[in-house]
Amino acid sequence: MKKQIILTLVIALMSVFQGLAQEWLVPDDQKTLTNPSEYNLSNVKKGKDLYMKNCKSCHGDPGKHNGLPLVPAPPDVVSEKMQNNTDGELHYKITKGRGGMPQFEITISDDDRWRLINFIRNFDPSREQLLVDAPPKKAKLLASVNEVEKKVEIFAEVEDANGSFVTLTDAAVKISAKKAFGNLPIGEVLTNADGRAEYKIPETLIGDENGMVNIVVQLDEAYITDNVVLDAAKVGQLKPQPKLIKKEILWSTNENIQTWLLLSYLGAVGAAWAAIAYVVFQIFKIWRLGKE
Amino acid sequence: MEKKSRRSFVKALGVSIGAAGVVGGSSILNSCTQVASTNSDTITLLTSSGELMKVDKSQLKPADLPSLSENQKRGREGLPGRKFVMVIDLSKCRNARQCMKACQNHHQLRPEQHHINVLQMQDAENTAPYYMPKPCQHCDNPPCTKVCPVNATFKREDGIVLIDNERCIGCRFCIAACPYSARVFNWFEPRDAEKYEGVTYNIEANVPQKKGTISKCLFSADRLRDGKLPSCVSACPNGVYWFGDQNEDAVTNGTTHETTSFSKLIKDNAAYTLMEELGTKPRVYYLPPKDRAFPFQGEIDQHHS
Repeated sequence: MKKQIILTLVIALMSVFQGLAQEWLVPDDQKTLTNPSEYNLSNVKKGKDLYMKNCKSCHGDPGKHNGLPLVPAPPDVVSEKMQNNTDGELHYKITKGRGGMPQFEITISDDDRWRLINFIRNFDPSREQLLVDAPPKKAKLLASVNEVEKKVEIFAEVEDANGSFVTLTDAAVKISAKKAFGNLPIGEVLTNADGRAEYKIPETLIGDENGMVNIVVQLDEAYITDNVVLDAAKVGQLKPQPKLIKKEILWSTNENIQTWLLLSYLGAVGAAWAAIAYVVFQIFKIWRLGKE
Repeated sequence: MEKKSRRSFVKALGVSIGAAGVVGGSSILNSCTQVASTNSDTITLLTSSGELMKVDKSQLKPADLPSLSENQKRGREGLPGRKFVMVIDLSKCRNARQCMKACQNHHQLRPEQHHINVLQMQDAENTAPYYMPKPCQHCDNPPCTKVCPVNATFKREDGIVLIDNERCIGCRFCIAACPYSARVFNWFEPRDAEKYEGVTYNIEANVPQKKGTISKCLFSADRLRDGKLPSCVSACPNGVYWFGDQNEDAVTNGTTHETTSFSKLIKDNAAYTLMEELGTKPRVYYLPPKDRAFPFQGEIDQHHS
């Protein structure tokens, strides 16, 4: 009976420890740290840039709950699991990391880590939201390539409140070139008051064997539109195609053997056979003389 | 003679319908056989469901099922105009080993066989240990191809070093010649051998594997032909691999699908190649393991003394 009680106790204790092991414990002196960086728009914006670069790949877009399916799951920024942490706890967890969570001690400076926490607090329901993303708008994008002047000409329109399309001004348009496995960003331009923009294609851009390039034009994420993939135009340099395999190299396969090597090899073999034939012929000659 | 050759052409390759209009959008005729030809314009075909159908000849095109010899021929030539290159960012590798898993699935490798292997490295006594994925370096001056007595392993114009298991006699000279230990030998029946029975050998994937022959990393040449990134590059969850065409000076990350300039990437990060002092001219570049945002969790024996 006594043994049974001890066994139950041990099992209960073990399960408690298991639970504790999953809990992420933060030292008390770290827990109570306050954020030295001020909660203002510029710090939140910087925090957002940092978040997009370092955190988004696992934690996903804020509010969309589209983080990676890892164990333990990386919580969304807006979730209670994230917001229930104190500033000090968040700071400790970002700094030290655990398991799948990287330790950003070396790669993100302390000031920037606190800014990141400011960005997280942007989604704290008990605080005023400083950075509010406008819902994406519908837009139309037109583009063409001027082969002679090596320019991309762009025209953009956006849907206004009445549902009609008006010219889109001051919008960033990204220009990239299609490559074997993806689009290589080559530049960015802003549209002018007429919704138009021109992009001069750099001289150094490499195209295919004939200098043809597929240019891809896209608006940033604040607008809903299809990317414009332009037909291949002759605006790039010819793709260099250096020969990798030299026609004749030493010590290679039969097809690439050097001529002098092949000739001397065949010559040596031929000479050996000729010597043997000469000896045999001489023996035959002696045998014939002996017969006479 | 002319009739015979046309027959064997249709028999060997099968036929598929190019335009969907004839059969109403579906490709029922994908695996049909020729029964008889009536005149020069239409052809009678037997569909897989057993129906006879008259189809215009201009609608027919050969299905892409190369025979063994065609496969070997195009496998030796490579993809025109390309020069494939890989960049491995050591500061990102945290030993997830997804590359190894994807590779072994793709190339029918047993658990102990590696076309790519993640090694634990420490360069000197007091330096930081790191993880290093090591595939074949696809050297521009490969020592392995030159020792092959039967011309089974070769360098392609697009930079890839391949092996033809149909020619390989298993002498293992190339294993001895390779300074990177990139080659593996099939000592036993390959994994899932019964599953691959009767499959036409694909020189660009080394599948099906053959007992008693060599196998090696191929940069997934069969996937490259379809415009896809190699298996290991696509499988990596941590953004370690960049892969692309050196001729167009662009590499694409397998995880983020971000594309960047190859020459800028290797210059900005002071990339290096393995054992460059041997003059092998590898096509795989390494970015140094600095600014790592994760701890090294492996064990390193202290061999430095």
